[in-house]
Amino acid sequence: MTPSDADTLVSCLSQLARSCAASAAAGTRGFHFRALDGSERYYPFEALEREAHARAARLASLDLQKGDRIALVIGDPAEFVLSFLGAAVAGVVPVPIYPRASFKAKNAYVETVSHIVKAAGAKVLLTMEASKPVIDEVLAHHPGLCRIVVLEDLLNQAPPQSQWTPPRVDASDLCFLQFTSGSTSLPKGVMVTHRNLVANARAFLGPRGIDRRDEDIAVTWLPLYHDMGLIGFVLGTIVCNITTVLMPTEAFGRRPNLWLETIAKVGGTITFAPNFAYGLATKRARDKDLEGLDLSTLRVAGCGAEPINPRVMREFAARFASVGFRAPALMPAYGMAESTLAITFHDRDAPLLTDVVDAERMKAGEAKPASGSEGTLELVSCGHPFPGHELKIVSEQGQSLGDRQVGEIWSRGPSITAGYYGNPEASAAAYTDGWLHTGDLGYMSGENLYVCGRLKDLIIIRGANFYPQDIEWAVAEVEGVRRDNVVAFSVMRNGEESLVISAEGNSTDAANLRTAIATKVMETVGLTVGHVAVVKVGSLPKTSSGKVQRRRTKAMFEAGELEEHPV
Amino acid sequence: MTRPELLQIFRTTASEIAEKDLKNIEETRVIAELGIDSLELLEVIGSLERDLNVRIPDDQLVGIQTVGQLITLVADKLPKS
Repeated sequence: MTPSDADTLVSCLSQLARSCAASAAAGTRGFHFRALDGSERYYPFEALEREAHARAARLASLDLQKGDRIALVIGDPAEFVLSFLGAAVAGVVPVPIYPRASFKAKNAYVETVSHIVKAAGAKVLLTMEASKPVIDEVLAHHPGLCRIVVLEDLLNQAPPQSQWTPPRVDASDLCFLQFTSGSTSLPKGVMVTHRNLVANARAFLGPRGIDRRDEDIAVTWLPLYHDMGLIGFVLGTIVCNITTVLMPTEAFGRRPNLWLETIAKVGGTITFAPNFAYGLATKRARDKDLEGLDLSTLRVAGCGAEPINPRVMREFAARFASVGFRAPALMPAYGMAESTLAITFHDRDAPLLTDVVDAERMKAGEAKPASGSEGTLELVSCGHPFPGHELKIVSEQGQSLGDRQVGEIWSRGPSITAGYYGNPEASAAAYTDGWLHTGDLGYMSGENLYVCGRLKDLIIIRGANFYPQDIEWAVAEVEGVRRDNVVAFSVMRNGEESLVISAEGNSTDAANLRTAIATKVMETVGLTVGHVAVVKVGSLPKTSSGKVQRRRTKAMFEAGELEEHPV
Repeated sequence: MTRPELLQIFRTTASEIAEKDLKNIEETRVIAELGIDSLELLEVIGSLERDLNVRIPDDQLVGIQTVGQLITLVADKLPKS
């Protein structure tokens, strides 16, 4: 069971390794890293701890001192995890950076890496042979950025001769910097301490969250440079002793069915993914893919990291019911890097809870239950905060709001991080008196939190509030519009807010798409679109996780930089 | 397998995954303009890998722009007959 007196990632890992070694289950619990070709590297927790200590000594030989930052650009999940843990043992602060994805623009990547390395003040960037060419390009544009070390070289050197003792790591020390690629252009480094990490992991994996069990097997393909993959399935599962199967993200990308097949094969009990993945899994599962699939072991299928569409959840549950998937396993969640990971979780093993509200009243910030079936919005409950944590809904003037009043979501408790590294202005704007201003709009109904969207993305037209995701989801249903490639925002035109829809599409379809999109928006939200911009496929700015960046799209539109197809 | 056959497989696979008619696209077309996003394209690659029993590493996909370039990359992986 979880050792309770360990209060850092390092002490949790040590206790875990010791308790595993001493138990009858020695060697049977740990991390299974699946490769693209189906082969596996297995690290029992005992071996994970040993390897972390060996790597810590090698990192120390690079003249890294306690508190120094090390950027990690490592695509291989096993190597990434071992390097991250090695840094933690050495008291060095890892800064995960996503490896460059194929087909993506090179220049933006070069700039992001250099920005993160500079903002983190990283002394060393640790990468692998495979990513070296891209890192060399970063250096070509930013000479002298920092010392580049190739992991293969570091591991091939003779082990350090002198006896090295790891420094003492305390709960208040920085565990890592999580750079967030929110809707603004430059990522900020969230400072996650060991105390934050351990508090959050024990909260969301504890009795009021997933309620970890010894027999659990967690399965994930989530990228490990993001909080949901890293904390949910690597750091959290170490803190709470959960055997975990990690697949490379590209494996899911190349064949989405592999996600559920892996769960069935290993008897997975816990998984987590964003809304889009549940939609994709549903769409890709043909009848013959269901043959031999058994999802009856899955007790928690968490959903977070982006707005949750109730239709997608219901369709997933319906599609996989015949292979043993139990709908109450779906567990909507809400959180963000600034709160380490999780803020609220829906009740475990409870049916999906949704709230159908009057769209008209929502425009005035009031979540009134709908009376009819026309003009309604359906939102998914993301549940409640964890023990020791508080939540409130706050007005623009900073006043606490009551039940069913829409305002900004604030959160307080031991999971809330101390702010952004080297950026006191941004920290002061996002945190007051221990309260994190999430920047998200939501409301409480009884004990349950409903999230409406980002505060800064709110579209206000003639005094009425519209949530861009509602408009974007409607537009995405228009034939020829690409899912996740629609942005709704408003701009000032002649002193009035005017709605702009930007969607990716083909030049030959542009004229038809404009008409179809405007019609759809009129039908669903009753708004006249000021302008529909049909842009080249791949030209809308996205975050590293593929989410559209609304504010950047708006800025590009206003600067005339969107590559619109002529109509 | 001939080049036109490979093109035909790409057309069929891409049409299915992206749910749009790409049955007549030519090798000269720029992939970014086909209306396929990067996630779908990765799925197309995965499907080609399984159908043709080849492996196309991610780093070799960097810099591929046209359908023809992708076909060449796949063709190079096939056993020479």
